[in-house]
Amino acid sequence: MRSVLLDGMRMLDLTDEKGALCGKMFADMGAEVIKVEPPQGCSTRRIPPFLDDEPGLEHSLYFLAFQAGKRSITLNLESAEGRELLKQLVKRSDFLVEAFPLGYLESLGLGYDTLAELNPRLIHASITPFGDKGPGKDYKAADIVSWASGGAMFLMGQEGRPPLQMSVPQAWLHAGAEAAVASMIAHYPRQADGLGQHIVVNAQACVVWTLMNEQAMPLLHGDYLRRSGVFTGAIGGRRKTVYQCKDGHVSFLIAGGAYFNSTNAVIAWMKEEGAAPAWLAEGGGLKTLTPSGFMAASAADLKELDDAEEAVQSFFLTKTKKELWQNILQRRLFGAPLANAADIADDAQLKARDYFVTVDHAGLGRKFTLPGAFAKMSETPVGPQGAAPQLGQHNREIYGGLLGLSKTEIVELRAAGII
Amino acid sequence: MSHLPFAGIRILDFTWYAVGPVTTKYFADYGADVVRIESAARLDGLRLAPPWKDAHPGVNNSQFFASFNTSKRGLALDMSKPRAREIFLKMLPWADVVTESFTPKTLRNWGLDYASMRAIKPDLIMLSTCMQGQTGPHRDYPGFGNLMAALSGFYHISGYSEAEPCPPYGAYTDFIAPRFSACALIAALDYRRRTGKGQFIDMAQYEASLHNVAPMLVDYFASGRVLGPTGNRSERYTPHGAYRCTDEDGHERWIAIAVADDSEWQALIAVMGNPPVDARFATMLGRFHDQAALDEFVGSIVRTRGADELTVALQAAGVSAYPVQNCMDLHRDENLEAFGFWHWLDHKEMGPSPYEGLEHRMSRTPGGLQRPAPALGQHTDEVLGEILGMAAAEIEELKREKVIY
Repeated sequence: MRSVLLDGMRMLDLTDEKGALCGKMFADMGAEVIKVEPPQGCSTRRIPPFLDDEPGLEHSLYFLAFQAGKRSITLNLESAEGRELLKQLVKRSDFLVEAFPLGYLESLGLGYDTLAELNPRLIHASITPFGDKGPGKDYKAADIVSWASGGAMFLMGQEGRPPLQMSVPQAWLHAGAEAAVASMIAHYPRQADGLGQHIVVNAQACVVWTLMNEQAMPLLHGDYLRRSGVFTGAIGGRRKTVYQCKDGHVSFLIAGGAYFNSTNAVIAWMKEEGAAPAWLAEGGGLKTLTPSGFMAASAADLKELDDAEEAVQSFFLTKTKKELWQNILQRRLFGAPLANAADIADDAQLKARDYFVTVDHAGLGRKFTLPGAFAKMSETPVGPQGAAPQLGQHNREIYGGLLGLSKTEIVELRAAGII
Repeated sequence: MSHLPFAGIRILDFTWYAVGPVTTKYFADYGADVVRIESAARLDGLRLAPPWKDAHPGVNNSQFFASFNTSKRGLALDMSKPRAREIFLKMLPWADVVTESFTPKTLRNWGLDYASMRAIKPDLIMLSTCMQGQTGPHRDYPGFGNLMAALSGFYHISGYSEAEPCPPYGAYTDFIAPRFSACALIAALDYRRRTGKGQFIDMAQYEASLHNVAPMLVDYFASGRVLGPTGNRSERYTPHGAYRCTDEDGHERWIAIAVADDSEWQALIAVMGNPPVDARFATMLGRFHDQAALDEFVGSIVRTRGADELTVALQAAGVSAYPVQNCMDLHRDENLEAFGFWHWLDHKEMGPSPYEGLEHRMSRTPGGLQRPAPALGQHTDEVLGEILGMAAAEIEELKREKVIY
């Protein structure tokens, strides 16, 4: 059943990977999201990995993940007839999101001003790498380039070695989600006064917003943070955040402040198992940490923390991720296993909350399991509304049903390469 | 009279740390009256963390707190005291939305669950956001976004190899979840306007964040493949990575480059002055086949270039590239500057302080930082006077009893 949260709202999604998550969030909230694809298919259909390792327009698991619940039509915007069809769709839509190079839609006569004349209610979000004003407004940006531009990349990796991105690139997901929030903010007054507007989303700024408290550090404390592998330089000191265990890694932090009780609890656990070295077992805990101070100050203090990290590391090496996780939960430690996809799929909490959702993909004759509701809403449940569409799957429904074209007209448009 | 989108929307905001405050910041920066209810007895941890004004710690000196709490009013109320809870319940009918981000048992212990609040305010919208959600065996798991980033897979896909994990910086998932919770909350307000119905939003940071690794999960369920850390390798671009440029004033500088096809590769080689190139590297396939050698080659030709000038040259030739900016560079970045990203606001105690702006701009109803973050209890008198009509004498008495601050 469709979510009624955004009942009756229609979004035209002209994006590629730079905005796929925006339309996905709207689809999850019950909006009708029409993915407008060029006749050769959206470029996100070509993003690995592929189902059964067989590349194909319907096989991209990236596409299957982020286009789920949308409808697909094909439309050649480079043709005059195609542009006319888009205008007809715009008249009947509430939102439009796109991530074209700046000026591209204007060059086709489809810029915001033109579209707003056709439909003053339209909320048009343009997702850009660097905004629409600076020297980089026309720059190209693959995800890794946006990740670098916003400062997140510099902080990932080891000293002296290249800065890193994640195996699932993140920058454009932040930008897509930001486009969703901004579109919703604009939606709220629009439903009262009937006026839409144009939104420019800046991916670089979105990545800056992942830096937590580091952005202002250089101005207030005089220096910037360096990357340091598994150590954190945040909040003073240099503490280890990732420990090895028997079958992987676990995140844990020995520190005071909010981490004080957790640090003592792991020492108590080590004592219980006779695994605490004598200096730690007999000394009554770490001398240098306090409930109020996050970090120790003197060199001697730091030595004690280094020694404690070494002892905890030896202890964790005797435990599996699962054992550590059980104890983290029971003993209320501040820790977490470095979960991989298999761990997440098997997680008891997600199962208890019926998180994952399986959808039927009729065209492929397969079922796909997707991340479920991003929030549990008591009156208007949200979540995946179906499988990702096949290329042009909804041409007849949208062009015939929504725009009222005849079957003959649709056949002609197809023959002419317009849809 | 404000014409901002959320003018007239009132939020009583118990959230702390990052996810909740960043969520309600969207509302405050767009005109909602967001009253941050803080306890002086149990401070928001961000008030106790740097960066500090002049590197000097103090509850009203943290830019960490300030960044996430612009445009809000501050009410200091010690909710562990029954009289404070009475005051809150008296304020409740004024509010459209209540938000909180404690572990689920906290509000239960105060006797303030959604059902009891709804009895007073029937169309109330409430957002509860915590690590793992309000139900399930792990609902009371306490944690921060750095741990959630490990639990939801981000740490595992970060590193040079399985043996060399290199997690993303900080409480990463704290900066994923707010966009999802803000969407849910705005949509709930819109739904209430249409139907008259409020609702309860149970937001698990975990469940929102997993959307940012959706392809990894869909792949696992479909094929059993377990994605690991792949360094900077890509299956779509080659070369693809960060390469060291010349140092500047003793600081290392790197450039990120992603080459999508052979014509971009030729453009890159031309920008580099047509150095001799191994014939294998002429095609995508050839470059994919020996990426270690390719990275070494690209690294060698980039090493003598400046990250900024090389970016301009590569972009002019149609190649995707940008300097790997550090946090100092971001304050000199001309694209962020042109977007008007940084703002200096005059905080009550900190004086002029640097704030991040919005990540988007609107043409008709532009939002923005309406005012700096509140000092602890800065608006206690004002809020209680305005909402409850509380007299100065009563406010003084409550302060003496440390119910309010």
